Amino acid sequence: MAATLTGSNTKLRDDLIRLLGTERVMDSTLERHLYAKDAGVYIGNPTVVVMIETTEEVAQVVRAARHHGVPIVARGAGTGLSAGAVPEVGGVVLVTTRMNRIEEIDAENHTAWVGPGVINLDLSRATTPFGMHFAPDPSSQSACTVGGNIACNSGGPHCLSEGSTVNHILALEVVTDTGDVMIVGGGAPDPIGLDLRGILVGSEGTLGIVTRALVKLTPNPPDVRTMAVAFPDIEDAAATVSGIIAAGLIPAALEMMDQLMMQAIENWLHAGLPVEAGALLLAEVTGVTEAVEAEAEIITRIAHGNNALSVQVAVSPQEREILWKSRKSAFGAVAQAAPDYYLHDTVVPRTRLVEAMRQVYEIGQRYQITMMNVFHAGDGNLHPLMAFDASEPGRLDEVKAAADELVEICVEKGGVLSGEHGIGIEKRHLMPLLFTEMDLDAQARVKEAFDAGGVFNPGKVLPEGSRCFDFGRPVPEGAWV
Amino acid sequence: MNTRFSAIPSADISADRAIPPAEVVLAPTTLEEASQALRIATEQRMKVLIWGGGNHQGYGHRVHPDMVLITTSLNRIEVWEPEDLTIVAEAGTRISQLEEMLAEKRQTTLLPNPSPTGTIGGALAAGLSSYKRFRYGPSRDRVLETKVVTGDGRIVRSGGRVVKNVTGYDIPRLMVGALGRMGLIGSVCLKLIPTPAAAVTVEVDDPAVALATLYRPLAVLSTPSGHSAFLWGTQAEVESQAGRLGGEVLSGHAWPPMPSRPVAWSLRLPPSQLSEGLERLPEGWDYVAQQGVGITECTADQVEIGAAKELRGWAESVGGALVLTNGPETLYERIDPWGTPPAGLDYQRKLVAGFDPYRVLNSGRLPGGI
Ligand SMILES: Cc1cc2nc3c(=O)[nH]c(=O)nc-3n(C[C@H](O)[C@H](O)[C@H](O)COP(=O)(O)OP(=O)(O)OC[C@H]3O[C@@H](n4cnc5c(N)ncnc54)[C@H](O)[C@@H]3O)c2cc1C
Repeated sequence: MAATLTGSNTKLRDDLIRLLGTERVMDSTLERHLYAKDAGVYIGNPTVVVMIETTEEVAQVVRAARHHGVPIVARGAGTGLSAGAVPEVGGVVLVTTRMNRIEEIDAENHTAWVGPGVINLDLSRATTPFGMHFAPDPSSQSACTVGGNIACNSGGPHCLSEGSTVNHILALEVVTDTGDVMIVGGGAPDPIGLDLRGILVGSEGTLGIVTRALVKLTPNPPDVRTMAVAFPDIEDAAATVSGIIAAGLIPAALEMMDQLMMQAIENWLHAGLPVEAGALLLAEVTGVTEAVEAEAEIITRIAHGNNALSVQVAVSPQEREILWKSRKSAFGAVAQAAPDYYLHDTVVPRTRLVEAMRQVYEIGQRYQITMMNVFHAGDGNLHPLMAFDASEPGRLDEVKAAADELVEICVEKGGVLSGEHGIGIEKRHLMPLLFTEMDLDAQARVKEAFDAGGVFNPGKVLPEGSRCFDFGRPVPEGAWV
Repeated sequence: MNTRFSAIPSADISADRAIPPAEVVLAPTTLEEASQALRIATEQRMKVLIWGGGNHQGYGHRVHPDMVLITTSLNRIEVWEPEDLTIVAEAGTRISQLEEMLAEKRQTTLLPNPSPTGTIGGALAAGLSSYKRFRYGPSRDRVLETKVVTGDGRIVRSGGRVVKNVTGYDIPRLMVGALGRMGLIGSVCLKLIPTPAAAVTVEVDDPAVALATLYRPLAVLSTPSGHSAFLWGTQAEVESQAGRLGGEVLSGHAWPPMPSRPVAWSLRLPPSQLSEGLERLPEGWDYVAQQGVGITECTADQVEIGAAKELRGWAESVGGALVLTNGPETLYERIDPWGTPPAGLDYQRKLVAGFDPYRVLNSGRLPGGI
């Protein structure tokens, strides 16, 4: 495969136009620029952008791209934060947003077949009349696609109790490296053979292109209590989180925000957040009334034991909605406050939240970067948000260095690189912090099994040179594997 | 063959099935020992069978091994973080022992625990979940990290010891249900679930009514003798849910026993097809059906190939499967234990080749003879 492709590749372009028509093949400078990046800080260089409408078209584009030796980068809404959809070495950017049909909702089996371009929130809206929803609820859910959720194994506040996207995907229709279409998994439990569905979810578009998905739908709870608990500082809030989990309670969601973040949101939304407090914990419990009442009581007790300043329980659906709105629009609020931001994503064991947060602020101070935090505390999933001005020379590099340090401290505490945003380009150089050469080689073998020719999203997830062992011994330099 | 490995802990081996005859039978006590054994196996191109508690050896095509690797000496609990609801344990650890320990702090792995000899690795390799999956999802959703020994003896760690993680490919998930083809599962980190205070079983007349009335019960099971709903939670919650159902309430969970009979099948259907599946079961089959999930575990005294094939044909036509999970060895020559292989066999083959290049480990056991 060519190492770098720039500008348009005319023959490929002609083939694509033959397949899709001129309107859906875009390669003007402006168009290529528009699809050069996702919501993160990395910029790529698309060769050509195609808008896809059917599975068959995806298959044909894969065959054409292969024929011309040009890689393919799948793209949903481009809200990814780890540069997964960034065409680093050029290539065809294959946009799925027009494959946005909810084909069939099966109320009896609690499933739906959907196109990859369906927007996350649209799916939950469409299933509301059936009393069900799609459980993964990233904060970006009003924009991001189910295909992107699948590729990133995305999370969200309610993944604390429901698990990440992978727990909610039953089957996938995938276009493979050969341009063939296969359906893996199924509507019956425990499909026989290796769990290809499981390995494809979270593979960041590096193993195949998802063209349809059978998703599992979750029944809407009969009752819910959403609570906003204010604390003097983040440590008391974190201790409360640990206390709740240790008490054997797994709430539907346990989200935390610090004072700076609260202030930014309040300035923007006027949601009535307790901005004078050092930290806010959003806790939600769902289930039958008796259960949510009992659980809300336990949470209140643990919070008071950890110096809670106030416990506010949302009484009406409107109150609940405004609390969640403030949580989910946090990043929009920051965009108003700083010209650029870098939204990070790392995980620590949830028992080590307090010390991790202390170090987050310490790193911020050292680099003179404002660290604002709103995160999935119940999962130990940190999201330090670094607000900065990219027009200051060298500033982005400093921010990236701080970001790497954040990952390092989390890994030291027994954590991992990413809880939901994925590795993409952003974190691949940090993979050796967590994995040995042997471990990385095994992952590279997974990639090799699906896509030995490197047609799908090359260079993502694994650092270069990961495939380096054979039969348990290092591969001799220069060997072809 | 070298003799550094521990003697076979024969007291640990009591199961439905006897270990098949093999040239070498080893019980490695560390992953390094397992790695050495598999390197030798790969160098000598030996066929290796992995043996945990011997409870699920009826799954898959038969393996005629030159070497048997018994995992029950890999039985250390490495780290238990009760406050984090995670545990790291070696895969030869018996589920019964692990659960006993976890119960002290009211936690559970939710792994199926019907036999005292069942190991973590065996249940995961066979891809098994307990009846509680209706509420909590399958076991594979709770495997956070694995350390496996590949067919050629590499020790590979994947995943991580936190409850949420997207760092790299989800190899731990691939190990679940792989029947050892992707490697010998050496140790795992599992997500734990807190055990609630109250548990009841309610007898119900109509499982469909139970499913419609209850909010996410633990399980609703049907057997030839009736239907029961299983609830747990706070006392008040359980009482209110049970009250809504009517029916006789027993305190605790009266899980139906699975009658041990010579032939066992697992019927896997989209949940909405389950009742029809039960109607189609051949006369005399015993069963426990998981309503809302779609799995029916069946046992029978007779082999009945014709009836099984007919049932399988229908199950596959609605997107399900009928899997042979136990039976006389000769039965496996007469009927494919899996049925029609799934899509993507080529990719399955390539994945396995990356982890077991010389086809030594449980080779041939998966659908399609992979
Ligand atoms: C403000 C904001 C808040 C966010 N909050 C969250 C959050 O709470 N939780 C969370 O997990 N994430 C969050 N994200 C990250 C992002 O929204 C998710 O990763 C989302 O799932 C990406 O979806 P997308 O459609 O935008 O995918 P894209 O960014 O377009 O693509 C992401 C990756 O998916 C691949 N891909 C896309 N479609 C396909 C397909 N059909 N087949 C194969 N591969 C495909 C791409 O190649 C790429 O690697 C947030 C992002 C923003 C900007």
